[in-house]
Amino acid sequence: MSKNRIFIRRRDGRIEVRLNEHGRNLVRQFAEDVVAAENDIDHAWHRQLQAPIDPSRDIDDPVSMLARQKSTASNAELVVLSVDEEFINDGEGWAWLMTLQVALRSLALNEGLLSEDALAKADEGTLVEVHSLQQLLFELAECLS
Amino acid sequence: MASVQPLRRTTTESDTISEEETQTLRPWSVIVWDDPVTPMSVVVIIFRKIFGYPNAKATKLMMTVHHEGKAIVWSGERERAETYCVKLHVAGLQATIEQDN
Repeated sequence: MSKNRIFIRRRDGRIEVRLNEHGRNLVRQFAEDVVAAENDIDHAWHRQLQAPIDPSRDIDDPVSMLARQKSTASNAELVVLSVDEEFINDGEGWAWLMTLQVALRSLALNEGLLSEDALAKADEGTLVEVHSLQQLLFELAECLS
Repeated sequence: MASVQPLRRTTTESDTISEEETQTLRPWSVIVWDDPVTPMSVVVIIFRKIFGYPNAKATKLMMTVHHEGKAIVWSGERERAETYCVKLHVAGLQATIEQDN
C-alpha cells in the first residue's frame, strides 16, 4: 500500500518525499507564489492573505498582521528551501502542509470557487491545480497525523 | 507617636463593574468558516495542532463547519482569540473573531 503514497513516515521519524520532478516543481511554484503574495501588494493572492481577523474593524491589529505575514512567508520560504529534499522533518512537513493549504485557499478565492457549484464550473486548468493540491494535502495530513 | 493612616478605602464605588468593563469581560469566540476546497482531514489535523484537541473533538468541530458553514472552535480572552485566529490564517483556514453577545 505504501508503494503508492507520496509521503511516508520512516522509522526514524523523518518523512520520505516520493515526489517526481513535476510534483516538486508544482510545490515549489505554489510556495514561491505564497512568498511573493506576502511581499507584493500587486500579487493576485495578496488580498486573500490579508483578510481581517475581526470583521468589525477595517484593519487588523498591526502586531497580529505582522505575525501572520511573517509566519506565512517563513513557512513558504522553508518549503522552497526543502522542496528538493528526499527526506523532511516534522517541522518542514507542517510548513509544507500550511503553505499548500494557504495556496489552495488563495487559488480558490482568486478564482471565485466559493461554492460547490462554482467548483463544478471551474475551467480544466484550475481544477487540475486544485485537485493536485488537495491530493498533496490529503496525503501529507495522513502522514502527519 | 504617629497615628497609622487608614488602609481601607471608605467607598465601594469601584466594586461596581462599569458597562464598558462588562463588555470587555464577555468572551471572544474564534469562528472557522467552511470552504468547498479544503480536505476534511486537513481541517482536523490543523485543529489538533493549534488547539491540542483530541481527534474526536477536532473531527466533531470539522463536521460542524462542514454542515453548518461555520463553527465556534474556541472562546475566551480577546488576546488569545486573536492569536488563535492568526495561527488559523497562517494554516490557511478562514477564521474570524467576534465577541459573544
